[in-house]
Amino acid sequence: MSKANRVALTASLPRRGLPQLPGVAWLLLALLLGLSAVAPGFASAANALNVAQQATLLLLLALPMTLIVMTEGLDLSMGASLSLCTVVLAVVSLGSGSLALGIAAALLAAVLIGLLNGVLIAWLELPPFVATLGTLGVAQGLALVLAEGRSTSGVGDGLATLWNGAVMGLPVPLLFAAAAWGLFHVLLHHTRFGVAVIALGGNREALKLAGMNERGSLIAVYALGGLFVGLAALLLGARLGGGHPTAAIGMEFDAIAAVAVGGTLFERGKGSLGGTVLGVLAVGVMRNGLNLLSMPSSLQVAAVGAVVIVALVVDALRGQQH
Amino acid sequence: MKLKILAGIAALILAPAAIAQSGERIAVFTKNQTNPFFQVLRMGADSAAKQMGATTTHLIPTKPDSIPEQMSLIDDVVIKKPSAIVFTPVDVKAMVPGIQKLNAAGIPVVNVNDRAEGGKFVAFVGSSDHALGVATGRYLLQALGGKGSVIIIEGVKGSGASAERVRGFQDALKEFPQVKLLASQPGNFQRLQALQVMENLMQTHAQIDGVLAANDSMASGVIEALEGANRKSQVIGINGTKEAIDAIKAGKLLATGDYNGYLQGCVSTMAAIRELRKLPVPKEVIFPPTVVHKGNYQPLDVPLESRSCPKWEDVVKEAAKS
Amino acid sequence: MNTLVQKIHLAPEQRSLLLRVIVLLLIGAGLALVSSAFLGANNLLNLLRQASLVFLLASGLTLVILCGGLDLSIGANVALSACLAATVMKATGSPLAGCAVGLASGLLVGAVNGLLVTRVRVPPFIATYGTLWILHGLTYWFMAGDTIHGFPPAFRFLGSGYWLGVPVPVFLMFGVLALGTLFLQYTTMGQEIYATGSNTEAAALSGVPVLNRRLLVYMLSGGMAGLASLVFLARLNSAEGDMGEALTLQAVGAVLIGGTSLFGGTGTLAGTLVGALVLTVVLNGMNLLAISANWQPLITGVIVIVSVAADALSRRRSGD
Repeated sequence: MSKANRVALTASLPRRGLPQLPGVAWLLLALLLGLSAVAPGFASAANALNVAQQATLLLLLALPMTLIVMTEGLDLSMGASLSLCTVVLAVVSLGSGSLALGIAAALLAAVLIGLLNGVLIAWLELPPFVATLGTLGVAQGLALVLAEGRSTSGVGDGLATLWNGAVMGLPVPLLFAAAAWGLFHVLLHHTRFGVAVIALGGNREALKLAGMNERGSLIAVYALGGLFVGLAALLLGARLGGGHPTAAIGMEFDAIAAVAVGGTLFERGKGSLGGTVLGVLAVGVMRNGLNLLSMPSSLQVAAVGAVVIVALVVDALRGQQH
Repeated sequence: MKLKILAGIAALILAPAAIAQSGERIAVFTKNQTNPFFQVLRMGADSAAKQMGATTTHLIPTKPDSIPEQMSLIDDVVIKKPSAIVFTPVDVKAMVPGIQKLNAAGIPVVNVNDRAEGGKFVAFVGSSDHALGVATGRYLLQALGGKGSVIIIEGVKGSGASAERVRGFQDALKEFPQVKLLASQPGNFQRLQALQVMENLMQTHAQIDGVLAANDSMASGVIEALEGANRKSQVIGINGTKEAIDAIKAGKLLATGDYNGYLQGCVSTMAAIRELRKLPVPKEVIFPPTVVHKGNYQPLDVPLESRSCPKWEDVVKEAAKS
Repeated sequence: MNTLVQKIHLAPEQRSLLLRVIVLLLIGAGLALVSSAFLGANNLLNLLRQASLVFLLASGLTLVILCGGLDLSIGANVALSACLAATVMKATGSPLAGCAVGLASGLLVGAVNGLLVTRVRVPPFIATYGTLWILHGLTYWFMAGDTIHGFPPAFRFLGSGYWLGVPVPVFLMFGVLALGTLFLQYTTMGQEIYATGSNTEAAALSGVPVLNRRLLVYMLSGGMAGLASLVFLARLNSAEGDMGEALTLQAVGAVLIGGTSLFGGTGTLAGTLVGALVLTVVLNGMNLLAISANWQPLITGVIVIVSVAADALSRRRSGD
């Protein structure tokens, strides 16, 4: 595609990112201030590290989910796929005696599911909700069948450093998360792929006119999601010391909620990776704070839902939605 | 800032005095908020703490049986540093790294209800799923006169408790070779599922004399299915919930295996507090299997609020007998 | 408006429904061949009753999806409504009072969802996902881990009773199917729902009160969840905090397998009924053939993909 065409394409797309500080930033600020004041132990370095580490898993899902949502899609299969890949990791590592083989198998499985999603959505043109609902079932079923009667724990210390290890005092998962964020930022804002993603959400005709492959880009978005599910499976596997067929059920909903709370809309290709990061942190901070406050579990459950809605209401009232 | 320093000094001075009042803080981990069994366990824990002058906090995942959430709760609790912990793992294998984290933080942990497959514990308090399965199964088979045909309704495939109880049922069956096992299907510990599975199985088998259900909820579902089809079978369950007692009173349920939820809560919390007070605690307290039936349900038929924890010495003596 | 109406009554929809019925019959025939118990009268009646639970819940959801929306909170709605109804019934001894409370609770939740989506403009996925959590929290807090069991036989008739040899919920199912289809196909409001889902801008320009219709379908979805919760309660004879957990996904599956498009504007209640039957028959077959429950999510997932893909392909072929 010629430079002139690319410039024209970029100019025709809606503005990337959000103009002001999204509602989630204020929400996060309020949570941080409020919880520091009332929750014992909240405002400590150890706890901050704690929350950040817990959030990395969700972030690895929410970052690609941001891109997927920007293309007016969603991926409901992430949780089931994540669980399946931890099982694959464990079964292959233990069965073959090689951790490296297990890691490769887990990543491969994740990418394959991502590709399956992409093909169903881009090629068969199934609605993303339906396609990924279907692959959710497939992944879940495979995970249950694969795990049954097989040993899935004791994957070993080699992997454990992935969760417990630290480089220069910073936990490895955090470095992972920061690297992922950096990578996605570059992908979205400085590559042709990023332009394609935004176009897929905002202006698909422009994409085709500019000579880019619509289908290929869309499949790539979901495959990228698959890759990061695989990476998340390595982290989760490290944390659990093995695999479990239902360990991550429902996590995709949390990821979608974080993306939405962070200000990325389901239409028109507007997206904010930074917003997603804040969204993930907001949910994590809130759960952590409520735990430290010893709030009854049932109310914590309600609070999560309320926060998600409130963040969007605030955004709506401030006119940041259509 | 000055106020903070003064407060800090005051706290340091007063702290020894506070400890002398022995207000130990016990953190109690259970699997979910929905299963009545854990509600009963928590009440037992609260009652024991109150009797001994300690306080309890309850840590329950917002998503029932969620592994990542219990992991996060463990991370949070390491920050809060309770005096001791009473712990039911959501998954006996997957939670081991979490328990090791608690061990590393130096917090004493009592394992209750589901025996974790790793980690160091002060004691294990529970009932033997296998022994309960055998005892309750045997009771039903004896009631059948040692002949006829039965089906087993299992719990969640892959759950330790389910596997052990079913193994108990099967061992009981070995003692009565003339009884035929028609089918063994999972009901996922869910009432509706057990109901529908039973409905379906009744179509393939014209005569079912007995049903061994791995928990009371499923037993209730089975009873509903039987009543709906106007068929009769002897049904047993496990857990000893209030609903089961009522069903025994009404003659609908033959018997239930008493899982001693209240006692488990009592004793595990007492053990934790005793450990903190440097009093002797046995490595294991396993309650002998009790089958509750029409002849002996009365002591259990009292509202929970009026129950109180038994004396430590009595419990240990009883358990030592099994 | 006339052109919109003409578009909706085209043969393709009836063709797609017929195709699904044929598939259902094929699956049934296959099961009948491998399992002698399948065609028994009792088994078929059980099947219908099991399907009716899913259908009652999925019927409201069908309307919401027809109108271009989504409701993820229905399972949680069932739990809360059933628990409230159960509490009131125990306290007052009156099944009528319990039913009224259950239905009211369902409608109220539906209204909240509808208002969030139409007035506050929260995307339906997020709005109903948020209310799902809030409902769960309220239910767990309210029930505090207890169960409520043992209801008067007059009430239990709703779920476990038979009339003319057929389980009562089956009559409810067909009743809702008939009324719902009449509503959708033969009233202006029903047609406006299709129009709103099919092309919101065009509908609004034609004078359809789009926001009100959206609010209506969410309330109907909530109301049907309330009704389903009563039938559920009557069938199980017990209320507990995590009732209906699995039902949401089953209801969504039934709607999708039944041919209703997530894009809105295409679909029928009859299709949802067939979808519910397909899911129930598969589960029934698995029990009869003693197939491990582990395969169930896999099979369900494949069925959903295949049925929606088939629709997509046929739509492409007819040049939509």
